[in-house]
Amino acid sequence: MKRTLGLERAVEMALSAGVATSGLLLLLGLVLAHEGVLRSGILILMLTPVVRVVVLTLGLFRDGDRRFGFVSLAVLAVLVAGIVLSRQ
Amino acid sequence: MLELSPWIYAATGAVTGILGATLGLGGGIFLVPVLTLVFDIPFRTAVAASLISVIATASVASTVNLGRGLVNFRLGMTLEIATTIGGLTGGFLAALLTQRQLFSIFGLTLAGMGVVMALRSGRRNVIAGAGVEPGLLGGQLEEDHRIYVYRLRRTPLALGASLLAGSISGLLGLGGGIIKIPILTAFCGIPIKVAAATSAFMIGVTAAASAFVYYGRGDIDLALAAAIALGALPGSLAGARLGHALEARSLKLFLAVVLFMVGGQMAIKALRLP
Repeated sequence: MKRTLGLERAVEMALSAGVATSGLLLLLGLVLAHEGVLRSGILILMLTPVVRVVVLTLGLFRDGDRRFGFVSLAVLAVLVAGIVLSRQ
Repeated sequence: MLELSPWIYAATGAVTGILGATLGLGGGIFLVPVLTLVFDIPFRTAVAASLISVIATASVASTVNLGRGLVNFRLGMTLEIATTIGGLTGGFLAALLTQRQLFSIFGLTLAGMGVVMALRSGRRNVIAGAGVEPGLLGGQLEEDHRIYVYRLRRTPLALGASLLAGSISGLLGLGGGIIKIPILTAFCGIPIKVAAATSAFMIGVTAAASAFVYYGRGDIDLALAAAIALGALPGSLAGARLGHALEARSLKLFLAVVLFMVGGQMAIKALRLP
């Protein structure tokens, strides 16, 4: 459990950064009624969980936890497949 | 653009965010009924907005929960493989179903989970003592200065429930906690606070898997989704703190009552549709 504390912090930072950035853009987009700003806010929010998975995957491999590193990588693969499949 | 002021939707997002995060859910369970029944927004637009708000709620709730050691990372990641596959499937499937079918599935899902939750709310899923082996996907939690150990039981059921949860999430914009939490606590040995925190950690990723499908299809109303997500951010922050203060048994009973009420409303709507 102690080993994962640094990783928890990294995940927390990734999530907070994504949420703060998108929150700011969404507010700005609504106030200015600007579609481009709104769209980037929404997209950053949608990408935040994806970034979280990337951080977790890298962290697990760095910590030598290969088993769960691959588990995390599998989740990332599904997400990327989804992004590719929906871009038609 | 929106018919009403965006701040009305933001307030809606805030309230559903509080309720959702208190229960370890994304808030979609309240948001989709409110958007469709009260604001008369088309089902898929409501679901798309809900998925965005679920991502916001889950991201915020996770940052609160992470510091408390309640999130079981390993369990969460393992089940995420199933929930994301389900999320994609549900997202694509949503385009093939009628509004009436979607409302019916929503109502039935909620009522079913309400039954599970009500029947098994008295269960304790923890073994006292620090010497017990939690296994690869189990863990331990501290409550009242005592260490409790839990083990994951019936792993295939947990994975199956996650796949179903993901599909329901993609179809109905729920995040999927509504399926996972009852099943994990009632049948798989996971304490409700761990199940709720781990589920909250997972639903952002689950919702993201489907959100891209809705985005690609053009189902996301940008201003609507933005207003709701903006309200959901502070709402879920408050809810995640509140959830920690509530007792496990009252959480379960509250959830059961909510499931019946919302499920009934959606079922009635399904009957009224042509």
